[in-house]
Amino acid sequence: MSDRIPVTVLTGFLGSGKTTLLNRILSEQHGKRIAVIENEFGEVGVDHELVIGAQEEIFETANGCICCTVRGDLIRVLGQLRKRRERFDYILIETTGLADPGPVAQSFFVDEDLKEDFELDAVVTLVDAAHVRRQLADSPTAADQIAFADVLVLNKTDLVDAATLAAVEQTLRGINSTARLVRTERASLPLDQVLDVGAFDLDRALSVNAAFLEPPRPFEWAGLYTLPAGHVKLHTGAHESAHDHGHDHDHDHEHEHEHDEAHEHGHGALAAVALLVLPAAASDAAALEATVEAATSAFEDTARPAASGTHLVPGTLYQLQLGHSAHFDLVLPKAGIWAVFTEHHPGEFGFHVHGEAPALERAFGSHHHDAEIGSIGIADARALDPNKVNDWLSYLLQSRGADILRMKGVLNFRGEARRYVFHGVHMIFEGKLERPWGEQARMNRLVFIGRKLDRHELEAGFESCIA
Amino acid sequence: MSPPRTRLAKRARLELGDYPVDAAWTADGRALVLASGEGEILWWAPATAPAPERLGQHSGGALALAWQGAGQHFASSGQDGQVWLWDARDRTHQVLSESAQWSEQLVFASHGRLLAVASGRELAVYDGCGALQARLPTHPGVIAALAWRYKSSELVAVFNGGIRWYRFEPAAQSRDYPWAGACLTASWSPDGRVFASGLQDGTVHFWYLAADENSQMKGYGAKVGLTSWSANSRYLASAADAMIVVWDFSGRGPEGTRPIQLDSHTARLTQLAYQPGGTHLASGGRDCRLMLWQPAKGSDAIDADLLPDEIALIRWSPDGQSLLVADRSGALTLYGLERL
Repeated sequence: MSDRIPVTVLTGFLGSGKTTLLNRILSEQHGKRIAVIENEFGEVGVDHELVIGAQEEIFETANGCICCTVRGDLIRVLGQLRKRRERFDYILIETTGLADPGPVAQSFFVDEDLKEDFELDAVVTLVDAAHVRRQLADSPTAADQIAFADVLVLNKTDLVDAATLAAVEQTLRGINSTARLVRTERASLPLDQVLDVGAFDLDRALSVNAAFLEPPRPFEWAGLYTLPAGHVKLHTGAHESAHDHGHDHDHDHEHEHEHDEAHEHGHGALAAVALLVLPAAASDAAALEATVEAATSAFEDTARPAASGTHLVPGTLYQLQLGHSAHFDLVLPKAGIWAVFTEHHPGEFGFHVHGEAPALERAFGSHHHDAEIGSIGIADARALDPNKVNDWLSYLLQSRGADILRMKGVLNFRGEARRYVFHGVHMIFEGKLERPWGEQARMNRLVFIGRKLDRHELEAGFESCIA
Repeated sequence: MSPPRTRLAKRARLELGDYPVDAAWTADGRALVLASGEGEILWWAPATAPAPERLGQHSGGALALAWQGAGQHFASSGQDGQVWLWDARDRTHQVLSESAQWSEQLVFASHGRLLAVASGRELAVYDGCGALQARLPTHPGVIAALAWRYKSSELVAVFNGGIRWYRFEPAAQSRDYPWAGACLTASWSPDGRVFASGLQDGTVHFWYLAADENSQMKGYGAKVGLTSWSANSRYLASAADAMIVVWDFSGRGPEGTRPIQLDSHTARLTQLAYQPGGTHLASGGRDCRLMLWQPAKGSDAIDADLLPDEIALIRWSPDGQSLLVADRSGALTLYGLERL
């Protein structure tokens, strides 16, 4: 058994509830003696004797290799803590809201001292449900923190409505499809959700969420409506939105108030959103599914800008200009079932079809606003050649290691009774043969989380590994 | 004629019962100051009093110790953020400083008149009585190590991004030598010609300060966390992982020459120290082995001992004839050098 000290890294933007969670961890009876390393001084239990302040310091190498970048402050402080090993049995590192989690995680794989004495248990990222979409729009670090997470704690869920919450979860899943997602209010959650997670432990079963395995779509939502021929009104904005707050819109003060509130809910960050309407054969799931491929290719067209009041026709991709509130005239050639596809979840921009609710609706994952950072999954039952896998992953890590933030997977090697499991952080890779497949169907499952990932490139690479 | 063989002979033993964080010999080599993981500061005179005397305790653990050259003072620091200056004659101390940052680096100049203390990015310099002489807060990175030039008031601080040279007497001067890498160790050759630092990126960097030249030595498989000069300034020993690499500065070297490699350790080195006034090199590692070498004579260890736990400290006495070795469990052994 390993006598390495487990470490949980706690990240999250300012205001996401890290301090509340830390104070809870320190005050609760859980039988663990936890040492805390803080990069932000102050708020956490000052009386606690094992809270240590450290100034964040990034060690880069002369050759500029991003994967060799480590945190000098953590190496130093943990080196000192090791000398008092018997006084605690767990370490929690709280990073600043602006910290890049990459060097923090890498330090535990790259630095010889840390590698030998400490074991990264999990990266836990707290997310403020009310503000995360704004933070994502403002800072690439927010996406990095979400992408790196093994556990996403979606906090302050009581401060947003159900539609916003669903939209936020969609966004999180778009960036990181594999992290465990935990909803909380006031950072109140069972501590076994954040401690002893074993996310980097290859011996524990690798749980890969199945939802991510379908290809990403350029839209987050689709709905089927039964509509008459002629003009149909589409509305967007806080004004008369699907979750109308019931304010008096003629009153200036109330008006401003609502505007602010819309911001709080994250709607205000969207200036424009793409929309497409296509005919559907019926109002059932199969009919909706049948339109998805056509919609995906239509979303590759250049969207036509549409200001409030514009007439829209089916089959054309529009970029709806969202003001505080806007309305559009959908002109339909015939009555029937129509599929509406929107780039973002309707709850995010107060979208609804006048007087109509969708007969069927569906959310799509794996889509993030700037499409800069996201997850790609591959599931395939065919047996692989270990040598070819080695060649592919080596090439991939060398050529794309800077963009691949995390990867993990279970592989089905030809002629091998056991499964091969692996995980990686940037260019750092660990893999081994684990327990036998036994009764379970032999299935390759791989997940890549990173920037500018190319699904075709990854799939072609995987294809080259088939035995 | 072959040189006389030397071996390590055990002279005394002490169970500290706690992690030995640091140890410093008194100027006369008759006693040691010890600092423990729990923060205790102890006085141990093996020949006269086998049991150590407890002097005080830093709450939260100790970080470093330094003895004042030929003087009667020593300094200690702890995780309480305090730096204490002790008077060995009456065993009392004064608090030199207190900060939110740990002061992990304490070094007295060999002449004993100046004490350098690094706390985070800040450097403070005190005189032998504890009066503040300079406070230098603006280093580009956290100071990882400090080294005084022998018999001089010149100091070098190393950090992520290079090194900074200081002279404090008669007037304060400084100069930066930037380098794109995280410097970890500070070792000034006793003749003052070469300053060496081991780096996180698995290289060693040499600065020939007077000539304003520098060179980088690569080929280490891991970060270089230990460096030590031979007393005659000819050899620099360095360690990365389980390998000791010794560079020979005679002739045209070390640039373009093959270093001496000492590879008997089987796990990562934790301690590496050249003998004051001599040619022996002592090393210790996580393999629980203490080894004694004479790199100039060959790459085989000339003596070795196996300790119960990994080696935490190796400290030569000022005359180079005794060696304090402590393992992680807190067992301290005092060795003498015996010629066969």
